[in-house]
Amino acid sequence: MESSSFREDWVALDKLLFGCVLLLLCWGIACIFSAASGFAGHGMEYALRQIGWGVVACAACVAVFAIGYPKFMDMAYPIYGLTLLLLALMTLAAPAVKGAQRWISLGVVRIQPSEFAKISLILLLSKFLSRYPPLTLKTFLAGWGVGLPVILLLLGQPDLGSALVYLFIMLCVIFVAGAPLRYLFSMAGLGLSLLPFAWFFLRDYQKMRLLVFLDPTRDPLGAGYNALQSRIAVGSGSFGGKGFLQGLQSKLRFLPEPHTDFIFSVYAEEFGFWGTTLLLVIFGIVFMRIVAAGMKSRDVRGKLLVSGVAAWIWFQMFENIGMSMGLMPITGITLPFLSYGGSSLVAVSIALGLVGSVYVSSAKRYRQL
Amino acid sequence: MPEIRDLLDSRLKVLMYAIFATLGILFTGLYFFQIVHADRYVRLAYNNRLRLIRFSPPRGEIYDRNGVPLAINETTFSIMGYPLDLDGQGMLTRVSELLMEYGIPMSVEDLERTIKKQRWAPYRVIRLVPNLTMAQMAELVADPEFPKQLFPLPEWRRIYPAGPLAANLTGYVGEISESELRNSLPGEYIGGDLVGKGGVERYYEDRLRGAAGEEAIEVDARGRKVRTVDLRSSEKGESVRLTVDMGAQKLAMELLGDYRGAVVAMDVKTGAVVVLASSPAYDNNPLAWGVSAREWREITEDQNRPMLDRSIAGVYPPASTFKAIVALAALEEGVVTPETTFVCTGALRLPSRTFRCWRRSGHGSVNLTSALQHSCDVYFYQVGMKLGIDRLLKWVRKFGLGDSTGIDLPGEAGGNIAGPEWKKRRVKENWYQGDTLNYSIGQGFLLLTPLQIARVYAAIANGGRLVTPFVVASESRKPVDMGVLPEKLAVVQRGLNNVVTRGTGSRAGRFGVSIAGKTGTAQNSHGLDHAVFVGYAPADNPQYVAVAMVEAGEHGSSVASPIVGEVLAYILSHPVDESGNQEKFAGRKETDNQGEYQKYVAQ
Repeated sequence: MESSSFREDWVALDKLLFGCVLLLLCWGIACIFSAASGFAGHGMEYALRQIGWGVVACAACVAVFAIGYPKFMDMAYPIYGLTLLLLALMTLAAPAVKGAQRWISLGVVRIQPSEFAKISLILLLSKFLSRYPPLTLKTFLAGWGVGLPVILLLLGQPDLGSALVYLFIMLCVIFVAGAPLRYLFSMAGLGLSLLPFAWFFLRDYQKMRLLVFLDPTRDPLGAGYNALQSRIAVGSGSFGGKGFLQGLQSKLRFLPEPHTDFIFSVYAEEFGFWGTTLLLVIFGIVFMRIVAAGMKSRDVRGKLLVSGVAAWIWFQMFENIGMSMGLMPITGITLPFLSYGGSSLVAVSIALGLVGSVYVSSAKRYRQL
Repeated sequence: MPEIRDLLDSRLKVLMYAIFATLGILFTGLYFFQIVHADRYVRLAYNNRLRLIRFSPPRGEIYDRNGVPLAINETTFSIMGYPLDLDGQGMLTRVSELLMEYGIPMSVEDLERTIKKQRWAPYRVIRLVPNLTMAQMAELVADPEFPKQLFPLPEWRRIYPAGPLAANLTGYVGEISESELRNSLPGEYIGGDLVGKGGVERYYEDRLRGAAGEEAIEVDARGRKVRTVDLRSSEKGESVRLTVDMGAQKLAMELLGDYRGAVVAMDVKTGAVVVLASSPAYDNNPLAWGVSAREWREITEDQNRPMLDRSIAGVYPPASTFKAIVALAALEEGVVTPETTFVCTGALRLPSRTFRCWRRSGHGSVNLTSALQHSCDVYFYQVGMKLGIDRLLKWVRKFGLGDSTGIDLPGEAGGNIAGPEWKKRRVKENWYQGDTLNYSIGQGFLLLTPLQIARVYAAIANGGRLVTPFVVASESRKPVDMGVLPEKLAVVQRGLNNVVTRGTGSRAGRFGVSIAGKTGTAQNSHGLDHAVFVGYAPADNPQYVAVAMVEAGEHGSSVASPIVGEVLAYILSHPVDESGNQEKFAGRKETDNQGEYQKYVAQ
């Protein structure tokens, strides 16, 4: 009966959510084309590669959707164990290329395992916290404890940006799981009081980025320059934008990494305020539909899973767009669905496949009841 | 547990509100920058007045083992400018006319081509005219017509004092090519940078090149500097000292004369290369300054292929020099003893074919020592038959043949040890006994580089340790012990000793040092035979090994052996000058080309 149940699932699919996501993806490809045409006309090359990744991402999403999230929940612990093992091997074995060991090379494609590890963390937390709700201090701390190894491994790589995303995902999932607010506030207070000590663990370039965030004139050629030029790009878009492919800031190479980290700046410069507002509205619909899937679900695991995926996209979107305006420090976190990069696109699509599966499983009757 | 689900739903709602709150913050921010302050940012974007200058660092120098300079830098001047300033109406015509007036032939098209090649970003500086002298530059700057948007920048030009004598070894520098640029790490190079294109210059590029400096300046609307925004000094590259002795290298090049060929000499215990000569040679100086397409074609399409480093990339049949390996293999495998004799009647008759000795009248009764001494082919046919190709190949591989030696230079060839498998694959034929016989006297499909031959004889001379040859003094690697018995090696050494004292290589011994070695005459189907001689000295306490490969030199005994003798005698009488020169290798130094540059900009 597999095929007929898949057909039922397909009918019940949240078309609005996936429609919005597809729109974002296409928009992203257009921006990548525009951004990459700046460096010696590689626009088509990058756009085609991103289209290829988009096809892979859609296939992965449909596959995960067809399998259904309960099967992944059953495997949550082994998947998490495997993820830890992989990240540990990378940290130990990979040669330090420019100080960060974030990539695994598979012939022609390079994979960034830390993107996929986000899914594994969300699955783990959903399963663990539904079994042991963080209502008591013991289970609350245990919830943080299970996720800690992956964060430590990422800090060891060192990938501070991803570690922040993970930390935020954990915070949101534990919050939604019903952790008492006094625990959360104490935790936040403790974290803030420890913050000055974290300074000593930062690399020089990370310290520089933070200092520059506070004072952009500190390093006008380096990180401060990027922040300033990005804000100029966004601001000079004004209401109507300069038009597709007409952005000067990205074409004249004032913007670094215009096709990945600063894709939003390219978009904002070329499409202006109306374009950025539209983008925020579409992201808003995406978040609404993701949370709606959780509200509809009668499975606690599903609710937690959905909150994890929402937190992931939320944090990256806010940090990336904030960074483009100079409201947030520069971290190298990409904008989901729009930034160039296969690993992040495929990973977030798999996560959406899981969300879609949570949505349809609540739409159907519970057969086992 | 319905109550927990309710709690979760209320928390999900809070999450939703929080997300919308942050979307509101982003919206407000965008409104602030794109609507409220839009005018300011639009103006900033169009008036982006930042300019970047890159100071190329002086490369590290290259010296021979006595501190003789092989690659050094000379200060020259370049005229620099920014695409943003050059795009203006008639600017290039003006510049071209001015240059012509001072005898620098640069047409508008030339200038356009130069700009196009280096253009990366409009605010990134471009080298418009390179390689000007101080006098030329002073004249140009003094002219009132000289556009204020252009400025002079002192730069470094590479000079190779030894020129063709060591061109294959030092290599040369040239402008980075597009494919090299693509394969480099981001930010490592930019268009117009000089990179090593061959020899030591290329192999030690990372060490020699240093780190580029950069200055960001703000300019006014007419392109004149207002202030320095940021400044990073350049760092000079690390200098390297080679193991090569230029005196010996020069001697070897002179001895090779008009012949095509190569001479290699190295320390038998460490593998430190003292001579690496390849003839004919080319002058690397013009290549470093940039040659025209026609001049480049003349060098690369020369029939004699001067850019082929014959010492490490030329492959030749080792001929009779190979017999030392066969002799050692036979002793080690127990196929013969030093006393075993064969009778040479001038040929070995097999049912299929007759295999001749080079001496038609024959050598009579020969043992291993005398067979080496007289280079008797029949003795080695017999030994080869007894040994068989598999055991022979085992020893060939033990000597590291079939692979490149791992010398610290680019473009080394590995040669070809051409066993039965290779023949099946390439010639599509089975391996016959006749092939083994030919193989045993170093002919047939076997091909080695002169460096590989030198390495084999270094191992024979130093007691059976395989060295890894190297040319940069700090790059010595530990030799690998092959595990051969000293008494067996001594038999081979005695044979090689006799070659020079009373055999085919006697001409090598006329230069005042005792030499042991082996002659060879490599059959050449395209013309006259190649002559080869390899020897080490002093014979009783070997220190250096040398090989001379002379294309179309006909006989190893007459042409190649005196070269080896003279080169070895020179090396032994000119030990390394350890005193002095240390300050040249003090490592990276801050350079002051920014200071010099400031002087000129201040005008």
